[in-house]
Order: sequence, then structure tokens, then C-alpha cells
Amino acid sequence: MSTSVTPAAEFHQHALALAAAQSAALAQQDNSPAWMTTLREQGAADFARTAWPGRKTEQWKYTSLQAFQDFVAADWGAAPEVGSEVVTDAPSGADTDTDAVGNTVLSLDATRLVFVDGVLDMLASDALPAGVTLFSQADADADKIIADHLGKIAGGVDASRRNLFAMLNNAWTCDGLLLHVPRGVTLERPLYIAHVSSAGAGQPAALATVANHRVLIVMEEGSGAQVIEHFVGSGAGQPAFVNALTEIQLGNNAQLHHTRLNMEDEALSHVGAVHLNLHRDSRFHGFTIAEGSRLKRIDYQMNHCGRGADLKLDGVYLARHRQLVDYHTTIEHRVPHCTSQEVFRGIIGDRAKAVFNGRIHIHKDAQKTLAELNNRNLLTSNAAEVDTKPELEIYADDVRCAHGATISQLDETALYYLQSRGISPSQARVMLSFGFINELLQGLPHEAIRTALGTHLAALFAADRALVSDVGYSDQQAIDSESV
Amino acid sequence: MSEQVSGNAQVEDLMRKDYAAGFHSAIESDTLPPGLDEDTVRFISAQKEEPEWMLAWRLKAYRAWREMAEPTWAHVHYPEIDFSSISYYSSPKSMKDRPKSLDEVDPELIATYEKLGIPLHEQEALAGVAVDAVFDSVSVVTTFREKLYEAGVIFCPISEAVHKHPELVKKYLGSVVPQKDNFYAALNSAVFSDGSFVYIPKGVRCPMELSTYFRINELNTGQFERTLIIAEEGSHVSYLEGCTAPMRDENQLHAAVVELVALDDATIKYSTVQNWYPGDKNGKGGIYNFVTKRGIAHKNARISWTQVETGSAVTWKYPSCILKGDNSVGEFYSVALTNNFQQADTGTKMIHLGKNTRSTIIAKGISAGRSNSAYRGLVRMNPGAEGARNFTQCDSLLIGDQCGAHTFPYIENRNASAVIEHEATTSKVSDDQMFLCQQRGLDAEKAVSMIVNGFCREVFKELPMEFAVEAGKLLEVSLEGSVG
Amino acid sequence: MLQINKLNAQVEDKQILHDLSLNIKAGEVHAIMGPNGSGKSTLGNVLTGRDGYDVLSGDITFNGKNLLEMGIEERAREGMFLAFQYPVEIPGVSNMEFLKAAVDARRKHQGLEELSSFDFMKLARDTSKQVSLDPSFLKRGVNEGFSGGEKKRNEIMQMMLLEPSLCILDETDSGLDIDALQVVASGVNAMRSSDRSFIVVTHYQRLLDFIVPDYVHVLAGGKIVKSGDKELAKELEAKGYGWLESEVA
Repeated sequence: MSTSVTPAAEFHQHALALAAAQSAALAQQDNSPAWMTTLREQGAADFARTAWPGRKTEQWKYTSLQAFQDFVAADWGAAPEVGSEVVTDAPSGADTDTDAVGNTVLSLDATRLVFVDGVLDMLASDALPAGVTLFSQADADADKIIADHLGKIAGGVDASRRNLFAMLNNAWTCDGLLLHVPRGVTLERPLYIAHVSSAGAGQPAALATVANHRVLIVMEEGSGAQVIEHFVGSGAGQPAFVNALTEIQLGNNAQLHHTRLNMEDEALSHVGAVHLNLHRDSRFHGFTIAEGSRLKRIDYQMNHCGRGADLKLDGVYLARHRQLVDYHTTIEHRVPHCTSQEVFRGIIGDRAKAVFNGRIHIHKDAQKTLAELNNRNLLTSNAAEVDTKPELEIYADDVRCAHGATISQLDETALYYLQSRGISPSQARVMLSFGFINELLQGLPHEAIRTALGTHLAALFAADRALVSDVGYSDQQAIDSESV
Repeated sequence: MSEQVSGNAQVEDLMRKDYAAGFHSAIESDTLPPGLDEDTVRFISAQKEEPEWMLAWRLKAYRAWREMAEPTWAHVHYPEIDFSSISYYSSPKSMKDRPKSLDEVDPELIATYEKLGIPLHEQEALAGVAVDAVFDSVSVVTTFREKLYEAGVIFCPISEAVHKHPELVKKYLGSVVPQKDNFYAALNSAVFSDGSFVYIPKGVRCPMELSTYFRINELNTGQFERTLIIAEEGSHVSYLEGCTAPMRDENQLHAAVVELVALDDATIKYSTVQNWYPGDKNGKGGIYNFVTKRGIAHKNARISWTQVETGSAVTWKYPSCILKGDNSVGEFYSVALTNNFQQADTGTKMIHLGKNTRSTIIAKGISAGRSNSAYRGLVRMNPGAEGARNFTQCDSLLIGDQCGAHTFPYIENRNASAVIEHEATTSKVSDDQMFLCQQRGLDAEKAVSMIVNGFCREVFKELPMEFAVEAGKLLEVSLEGSVG
Repeated sequence: MLQINKLNAQVEDKQILHDLSLNIKAGEVHAIMGPNGSGKSTLGNVLTGRDGYDVLSGDITFNGKNLLEMGIEERAREGMFLAFQYPVEIPGVSNMEFLKAAVDARRKHQGLEELSSFDFMKLARDTSKQVSLDPSFLKRGVNEGFSGGEKKRNEIMQMMLLEPSLCILDETDSGLDIDALQVVASGVNAMRSSDRSFIVVTHYQRLLDFIVPDYVHVLAGGKIVKSGDKELAKELEAKGYGWLESEVA
């Protein structure tokens, strides 16, 4: 078994071994709740019997998991300490002092919580506000909420579409964050959660880091909140694997603004998912951006469970170098009178690849559904690739559904217009390329994030022409000849 | 004749070996006993007195088929097909010695054709239509051959082309759909019985529309026709195909292959009105229509597929274009209507290889009763497809709340200068439209059929005139009983 | 021609019309005016039998027959015509094809022969000119991409072709400029005859300057609160609807 196993099989083995080691350590501590044992065991069992996705697996048709080879070669000894001890009076690693973290996390008017490789960094964080608890510190009430919801929201997916990495996240869950907003309460300040990957900083070169993030948001009837999840790497350049799973329960008439920013380092591979249940008249407004790490696979699984629910999801992806970004979104309309609107835009350059799969599934009883999905792409290099697949699966007749996907270039008329006002062709292309995604940034509810993201991305566009659409530009030819 | 005799001897031999029971009348109707092995392939080849190279080609396909698995990715559900219970060859009795004229054809056959409205007699034919009729598996007669011969056009059964034009058949058969292309194409390559062969010489504009009618008659018979159309440089041909089958309780298999070769500057227009028996109101019986159709377009060539699909219990069909030459054009215009328990998974593939290639996809799906209709399409821009364009519009119309309409477009782009636009909508016949029609005095059924016909107009206008009228009527008939 | 007796009707569980009675004789033009939400459009929809408009009680006789027993298309074939306030688009169905089907259905019902395609085309072209619609509109999809004024003129053209006995104009004047209004009005006036009646539903008096009614009824809260001759319309224009509502209350 040990001599000629494939990287996939080897990853599988390592992953299960890690889960087993963690379980053993947890058992020693003797204080881990019953739900966690169940979740971990179930997750490990599911993961063990699920085949590693290949090209014939529809969910992974365009995304090769070759990148995991790095973790196979690496020493998994660098996995996070079991039990996720809270860092109370000293930084846990060489790179997690407040200054270093302060440079990577955003400065916002929000309650800030910083996790480094899955462990809460108390020095870099504000005090936990009311309603926010670590799984490991949950009181009886919180424990019950976790037991009632954790793994259940993500577990509601059709067996054939269940995500391998959600199973793995279950198997690896040692701790996590619960946000519980009681009935009728609206959080005054947004909650900003920074997930920092130290990416093996201070470790010997061959060591890889594996981090498991878990967030559970339970919004009771009529509550409101704004949550920002920010995934960021601190720049050590070692391979790291992040598996992040967020589960969200929106009670009747609850409202949530959820922003998920993926801006990790090149060396990082990120597999993440957001699972969301919307109950009667609830509203979800989501925003997601993926930029940075070489492998990103992000799933949004959104379920309309009660009449009158409304969801809106905007997404932006930027892929350069040899990066791969893959968004899979599914909206399940199970009940009547719900609406959903999804807009994703991406720019893909160099030798990068983007995959977008947006599925809308209208069940038999979901009459009066309004659902729209739009995906637009700019490809800036002939060595780059985009694969998009908007899907409609509809079993109710009194609905209005539409999707559109385009792959195009900058509008020549707009280019001409800008130039006629004295702007250089090169600058005009930068402006229009940035404008292509900026339209979506402007929909962000939190002004500070809008500004911070806008500044960061505008600089990126100015600095790297990989994100600027100008077919026929001289370095384009260079890429062409190189790829032959 | 000697081979004919030996062929019959072979049947008897087979019968004695494997099918001793239940094969009483098979010899009389010249239907091969059910089952498929190398001997079956040899028998079919021998029946047609084929040269050795043709048999070798078939055997290669058969051996490949044995190793292949049935595709399961389509959005259709049907009981597993027992390929050993199907008869792979059936020849209408009086065809044995190939009629020299219509007078020699079984009058029963002629009567059947007349019921179908097929213009078999030259004098009765619609002006300008030449007909090749394939009954079960054998090409019955081809009209207008002499007039075509004058223009240098070859239009004959493919079994005849194997003998008379071996150099063309050898060169092009399997050049667009290779033997191992897919499970059903491999099966067809092994056992195809007959079909049409068309050759249009360089610079010739075919003086009339060419037409083939296919009919499945015998019980438990699979029909595997093979069509090959070659349009030499600068030539032009329009080909029509009509399909029908009588009512049977059992499901019957139809697995055809159509290959189109459009050389530089040539145009091939291929129109289909498919009305295989769809099964009864309870979903019993009907044809399984698993068809591979593909064309290759060389420089400046144009291939246009137009299909109106109202029949079959299960349809699995994706007429495709490989746009190999620069400036080549591919078109796909489709109406797929399903009612009762019918299932259709149909669409197209546009593979853009050459520079400035263009493709247009207009697909209209109508679902009624308890049926399901899916559009599945692929648009692929390869790195060399500089300046390529695609426009896709998929619209689905639902009639009643028990049916389903689905859209699965795959869009793959690897060229930065390509432009792809895809739009899809799903809606129902609106109450307002129905009210307007009824307020003006139309009954509900007429109103629905008028609205549905309007919905399909963009596709119907691509059909030759007499087919467009037929298609409209077919929709009306197919929708009967769908309005409650 | 039309007798409405104590009609009560509801839309989606909400009663809109209350004990409404109206008697229209052949050749008469009745204007029905009233503020928004008074039930004006509901009356047209109930008369034509639209789904979702439920008659709770009362009866309606049309040309001596029980209207409420007839389906939508039967009423149409009997000669009832509704010119829609917002005509719906039917993509891909050409105006010509649609009109021929409608006229054929009406003629068949009347025991007349279908018109030949040639005769019908000629008739349709002539009629389109009467409402100042270019005959090219006949080839386009029903209302597809028509402007508001073109849709309204298309409605009047259909009315002329179908030659109904009772024409209900549902706010046909709304959104029309004065030129289009005159076209519509002259079309209607050309059709006035001793065996044809009109119900002209409108919010504004302006239309009634061009189509002079025999009677004017004011609908408020689902009832006819006042009836009179054309002078009543002028009074309404001057005073607005407020005084009536207070008078009723």
C-alpha cells in the first residue's frame, strides 16, 4: 500500500491519520462534547468512503486537485495543536504578534476577531461580544445551539452533491466560532473575523500547515447582523492548506449581510464552503471575492426553506499566474415566493484558470419563484482559461428564471470615449478592466471594506497587467509563443 | 447470391446455438435473432456482401464497444437496456433482391409510406425533393437519382456506396465520429445496417433538397442507420430527414450516426423533423433515440443543424460542429417538445478551432404533461480560435406544473479574443397571453398551440418551407391534451 | 343588449363590485368613470370572464343569454370585445396569423364561411390604414415591440375586424397623446351604429370630448354612485371625484 499509492490516496491517508490523532488527543482531554465526537466520527467515515474527485466527477470536472501533491510530500507534523487552545497572554507563533497581524487584517469599525491557523489570537482580537462563543468554551445554552445546527445545515445537501471537503472539515473540527443572534436583536457593530494563515512561518521549509476553520451563524427570528470573514495569509511562502466551512441559519425575517474575502498568499490552497438556510421572509445579502492563492475552490450552497425569502449574492474573482479559482454555487428553491439574484464577474490572465458553476434548482412546489444568475468574464491571455456553466433545473411552471454568461472584451466604444477625453489607451484599459469588477464592489454595504478593497485592487490592476484586458498587447504574443 | 445463402445458413446456425426457442418466424421476416456478438457483426456484413475492409472496420468498433460503458450523465431515466434482447438486423422481406423500380416494392410498404405522406412516387413527390427511405434497416428506394446523377451528385444507400464508391467511404467514414467516439456510436459502427450517402462534387449546388425518411417497424428491432454527407469545396446541399415509428408497447432502440464533412467554402444544411413514437399517455412504449450527429467545417464552410424533436420516449442527441477551418460557421436551431412521460436531453457542441469561427445556437424547449426536457450544450474556444464568436439563446416554456425544463450549458474558453454570449430563460405560457387569445375568441388549445408556435418561430424559419408547415402541425398534435 | 343585475364580484378574496346594476341597450354608448381603485377595470374583466375574477352573486344577460355560463372565448364569439388597458405581447405570433384565427373563430360561430387568406389580408391592410398603423405591423408579433400608442391602435384595429356587438374600452385613452387619441376616437366613432354598444371606461373626461357618450356613470367603491348624461363628465372634470365620495359617505 505504501509504495505506489497515488497522491490522492496518500492525501486521503494523511487526512484520516490527522483526524485520528486529533481524536485521540481530544479523548485524553476528556472535555470535548458529545456532538463533536459524533461530528468528527461521521465526517471521517464519510470522507473515508468517498472517492477522490477526478475529471469524471461532475463537481470537479474542471478543477484538478494536483496541487495537493505538495501536502503529500510535506511533513504533516505541522498540523495545528489539538484542542485549539486560546492564546491568552502570548502569541503562539513567531509571526503572530499584533504588528504582523495588524498589517494583514483590515482596520474596520467592527468587532475584530483574529484567528491564526484556526486559533484565536486574543491580543490581536477585541473581547468576544455578546452572542459570540468559541465551541471549546460554550456554555450549556450555546452547546445546545451548536449541537442542534452544526453539520446539519451543510449535511442537508443531496448525497450525490455532498462536498468531500465539508466531510473532511467535520472530521477535523476541534474548535470553531459560534455567532448566535437572539430573537429581535440587531448587532450594532459588524463582526469582522480574520482567518490568518501563518503558512508555516518560522517552521522548517518542508513543513506544510493545515488549518481547519469552522464558523456557525445562527440568526433567530427578526434578528440582524453584518459579518465579514477575511481569509488572509501572512506571507511566509510555504505551502498551506485551508479548509473553511461556514454554516448559516437564518430564522424567520432575519437579515444577514455576509462578506467573504479570500485574499491569501500564492502558496496557499483554500477549499471553502458557505452553507445557508433561509427561512420565511429572511434576507441574505452576500459578497465574495477570490484573489491570491493558487488553488481556491469555494462552494455556496443556499437553500430557500421558507416562503418570501430573498437572497442576493455578488462575487468577484481575479486569477493570475498559474492560479486556479473555482466557484460552485447552488440555490435550492424548495418553497414558493422566494427570489434569488446572483452576479459573478471574473478576470483571468497569465496561465490562470477560472471555473464558475452556478446552479439554480426550482423544486416542484416552488411556484412564483424569481431567480436570476449572471456570470461575466474577461480573459486577458490566450494561455488562460475560463469554464463557466450556469445551470437551470426547473420543476415548477409559474416561475421566472433566467441566466446569462458571457466571455468578452472591453467595450470598444467605451475605450474610444475615454481616449477622446485624453486618457491614454493603456490607462483606459486599466480603468475599464477595474470598472468591470468595481461595479460589484460598489454594492458592498460596509464602506470601509469598499474603500479598503477598492484601494487594494486598484493598486493590483495598476501594477499587474495580467488583469487588464488588452488582447494584441505585445507581451500577449510572448505568452502565446511560450505556450506552443 | 451464394453469400446470401451462406448468410441464411449462418442465421440457422446461430439459431441452433443460442436461440433455439422463440425464433419461429424470424427467417421469414429476415430479422436476425436478438443478441450481439462477433458473429452478428459478420452476419450483417455478409448480408450486405461487404468487402473485407468494411467488416474489419465493424469488428474494430464492436471490440471497442464491448469495453465501453453506457453513458449515464444525461438527465434521463430509463430501465437498463438489455443489449442482448435486441435484434440487430431486419430486412423487409420483399427487399431481398433490391427492387429495380417501385413496382417491385411490397404494396403494403407503399401504403405505409403514403399514410405517412411521404412523396415516394416521383410524380407525387413535392417538387424538388429526392427521397431515400430507410425502412427498419434497409434503404428501400431512392427517387430522383437520375436527375441528381446529371449534376454529379451521388445520393444512394450507404450500403451501395460501400461497393460503388469505396474510396470515398474509406476516406470519410468515421472521420468525424470515430468508432470509439461514444458507446452508441461504437454500437452503430459495429452493426449499422443502412443509411444515406451523399456526395456533392466541387462547386456544385445540389439542384434539389435531398430527403430521407426513416421508419422502425419490426418488433424488438434496433435501428442503426448511418449517414455520411460529403460536400466538396464550394458545394452546397440541403438535406432533410424525417423519422417515424408505429405504436409499440415495448421500447425500441434507435442509435444512428450522422457525419457531415463540409470542405472549404461548402455549405451543408441538415434539417430533421423527428417524430418517433413517444410512448402512450402513461409512458409505455416509445423509441429510445440515442443519436450521434456531428459535422466538420473546413475553411469558410458552413454547417447548419435544424431539428424539430417531438417524438421518442427518451432522446439523447447533440448535433455538433467542429469548426476547424478559419471563418467557418456552425449553427444549431432546435425545438424539442416533450409531453406525457417523454424525456429529452438534447443540445449541441460547438468546437471552435479556427480563427474567426462563428456559431449560433437557438434552442427552444417545451415541456408539458409529466415530461422533462433538458438543453445540454458545449461551446469551446480553443487557444487558436482567434476572434471567434458564439451566441447562444436557450428558452424553455413550461405547460403545467408536473413537468421539468433544464439548461446545462458548458462554456469553455481558452482564447482571450473570443466573445461568447449565453442567455437562457424559463417561463410558462402567461395567463395574460392566454386571456388575450381567448378574449379574441380562440379556444384554449388553439391559443396554446399558437403561442407555442410563436415561441418556436425563430427555429421554424430555418426549415425548408414544406417542413416548416409539417413541424407546426406536429407541435399542435403533440400538444393535444396538454391543456387541462 | 346587456343587463347587469345586482352584481357582486371579488378578486383574490377581496370584494370589489357591490350590487352593481347596469342596463345597456343596442346602439348606446355608456361611459364609466371613477377614481383609481373604484372597480372600473374589474367590471371589464368580470364581463369577459377572466380567471381570478369571481362572481359572488347577481346575474348578467348578454343578447338574451346568460353570460356567466359562457367561457371566455364563447363570450368573445358572441360579440363581446375588450380593448385592453395594457395589451400583452405574444412573441413570434404574427398579428396577421392571430387576427385571422380570431376572425375565423367569430365567423364560424356566426355560421359564416372563413375568409380566404387573400380577402383577409386585403381587409386587414385596409383596416390598419384606418387606424394609421403601417400594414407592416401585421407581419410583426402581436404587440411585440409596439409603442404604447401602437398597441392601443392595434386594439382598435382588432375591434374593427372582429365587428363585435359590445365593445368595452378599458382606459384606452391612458398614455395617449392627442393625435393618437383622435385616431382611436375616430375609429370608435366610425363603428358606432344602432346595433352596437360601447362601454367606455376612463379616468379622464378628455376622451369623452371625442367619443360623446349617451350616459355617464360614476363608479366609486364598487358601486354606481351617480348616473347622468355627458354633462356629468364635465362636472367631474371640474370638481374631481372627491365631492362624490364625500356625498356617498
